[in-house]
Amino acid sequence: MNKIIISVFILLGSFFILVAAIGILRFKDLYGRLHATTKATSFGLLLMLVGVSLFFNIFPVYMKSLLIIIFIFLTAPLAAHSIAKSFTGNGENSDNTAENN
Amino acid sequence: MTEPVPNIVLYIAFAFLMAAMTITLARLLKGPSVNDRIAAMDLIASIIMGVILVYSVLINNEMYFDIPVIISLISFIGTIAVSTYLKQKNE
Amino acid sequence: MKSLKLLYYIPEFIVFYLAELVKANFYIAYIILSPKMKTQPGFIEFPLKIKSSAGLLLFSNLVSMTPGSLSVEICEDKKTLLIHALLISDHQKTMEEIESIQKRILRITN
Repeated sequence: MNKIIISVFILLGSFFILVAAIGILRFKDLYGRLHATTKATSFGLLLMLVGVSLFFNIFPVYMKSLLIIIFIFLTAPLAAHSIAKSFTGNGENSDNTAENN
Repeated sequence: MTEPVPNIVLYIAFAFLMAAMTITLARLLKGPSVNDRIAAMDLIASIIMGVILVYSVLINNEMYFDIPVIISLISFIGTIAVSTYLKQKNE
Repeated sequence: MKSLKLLYYIPEFIVFYLAELVKANFYIAYIILSPKMKTQPGFIEFPLKIKSSAGLLLFSNLVSMTPGSLSVEICEDKKTLLIHALLISDHQKTMEEIESIQKRILRITN
């Protein structure tokens, strides 16, 4: 029973990371790519960390996993925000953003 | 305490992660602007974290769990540093 | 009395965050994996009521995690937040969702 739960967590986590990678290839503009990489990556890593810490099932691993999850969820939107902010003043692709506005 | 997970599950997870790595490398090489490349680098760091997690399950050694902590810290600092540099260069 | 209320609001907020996260991820997976991606990207300006910086951090994080919206920039005077939406035709629904998030954060930080 435990085995099945761990397998489902690990498979779903790697599937969501794959979805993020497909998204970064298929979207047309930078903002769409940031949508894909922010959400899907952090969710996939969350599922994977939960699965792996259920597999080891000892206290230090649970603590480290909680630390990583909190850090990722605080910083993934911040990184996307920073990349998007540095993009708006960019010269070569600015016609693309003006069109969407 | 640790029940073995069937190896086939871990191999499928490895296949997913390797496919993701290949696709992201394509975007990293192709990316029209520098910002696309930064986003791809961020994603590559996450994929490597996933690979290390799956590998630690495969060889059943919890010592490897320290590596994702360090990768998550360094990748965030690197992303912020490069994008701040770009922003200041554009002004 | 106030801290007792906070004791109820914070776990409710965490459950709300996780539910939004799962919903957002299935939405974006549906968009990416559908063969014809019907996206219509655009920008929305949202008026802010939150003043504290911790509340603003939490709010912009949560806006990035809701389905189909990404916080791009906060103005200098902290009055408006620029949001990038994946489907601009659903403009009204996105605004309502973000409004409910703002109400929840105001309940916690004030």
